[in-house]
Amino acid sequence: MSTADVKQLSDAELMRQEREIARRHIGKFPIVSVTWAFANLAVWLSLWPLVLTGTLSVWIAFPIACLNVMLCYLPSHEAQHDIIARPGDRLRWLNELVGHVSTIPLVLPYRVARLTHLEHHKHTNDPDLDPDYGTHASGPLAAIWNSIQSRQPGTESGPNAYAAALQRIGRPDVMLDAVFATLAFYVILFALAWSGFAIEAALLWWLPRHIGQTYIVYYLSWAPHHPGNLTGRYRNTRGFRAVLGNIGSMGMQYHIVHHLHPRIPLIRTPKAFHEMRAVLDARGCRIENL
Amino acid sequence: METVIKTLFHFGPLVFAFGFIAPLTAQIIERAGLALPFGLTPLVAGLLLGAVWGGIAQYRGRWI
Repeated sequence: MSTADVKQLSDAELMRQEREIARRHIGKFPIVSVTWAFANLAVWLSLWPLVLTGTLSVWIAFPIACLNVMLCYLPSHEAQHDIIARPGDRLRWLNELVGHVSTIPLVLPYRVARLTHLEHHKHTNDPDLDPDYGTHASGPLAAIWNSIQSRQPGTESGPNAYAAALQRIGRPDVMLDAVFATLAFYVILFALAWSGFAIEAALLWWLPRHIGQTYIVYYLSWAPHHPGNLTGRYRNTRGFRAVLGNIGSMGMQYHIVHHLHPRIPLIRTPKAFHEMRAVLDARGCRIENL
Repeated sequence: METVIKTLFHFGPLVFAFGFIAPLTAQIIERAGLALPFGLTPLVAGLLLGAVWGGIAQYRGRWI
């Protein structure tokens, strides 16, 4: 059916077609994401003994550690949406394990990530209710600068926006996860630094974490929602062509499919997007150069 | 416990400056083999940088 034909369809028929396509992709076990989670963590953890024993140069390990931090969020994101296994499923433990361990390099506790991310889905681009609203910026450089500024001690966005969201939904207790994770991170960092491994700690964790956070905010939050002034199911997220391509942007070119059907595994969103393209066009979605 | 944690986070920039920036600076100076003026040791230089930068960050609420 051509795009022109699809545009003639009723709302109900468009929704039926959209759901039918989504159904074909939901429920498939995301083996790539699960392997990715554990392999990425194993590589990052292995850098520590390799570097601290002098087996591997810290300058070789540094870019690898940066990649590890950049890569660590998305497997947890699959877990946040119960894509690996839903509550009550036989592999539910694996879903939760991936959620908890994959973001260790990022120092982002699973429950904090999950609850605030679900709020982001419920209230995308709402200035008062979207915990990620602070990532909005006028352009790419402004987005990067904004991300750096959101990590300054006196900021109102970043972790404070997450704390406000958890307070609002009645789960301020979950913020304790972030407090203890942050404390553990700094205790480890300080202990390494005062034991003579400050440069190693800086290049394996502290600086990669900052670089990784900047990348994640840019491609996983700012770019798919830019300019971030529209709300509504078909308008709050866009399809776009990333300078770094689909792999370099970690699949975020097709993030619009994720917002429409969050339980489609990341690896299947490009295929779902192309199958859904005519419906998305008919719905007036923002699809730019894709 | 809560008071201790809140105090730690309140003085976060200074804690980070002395906990991390000071030894990091000292070890960078040592590995680079830099000669310091006035007979400063790398650790004293690190502590000085930490105190100044951390103090400014504590006051302004931002590192950069």
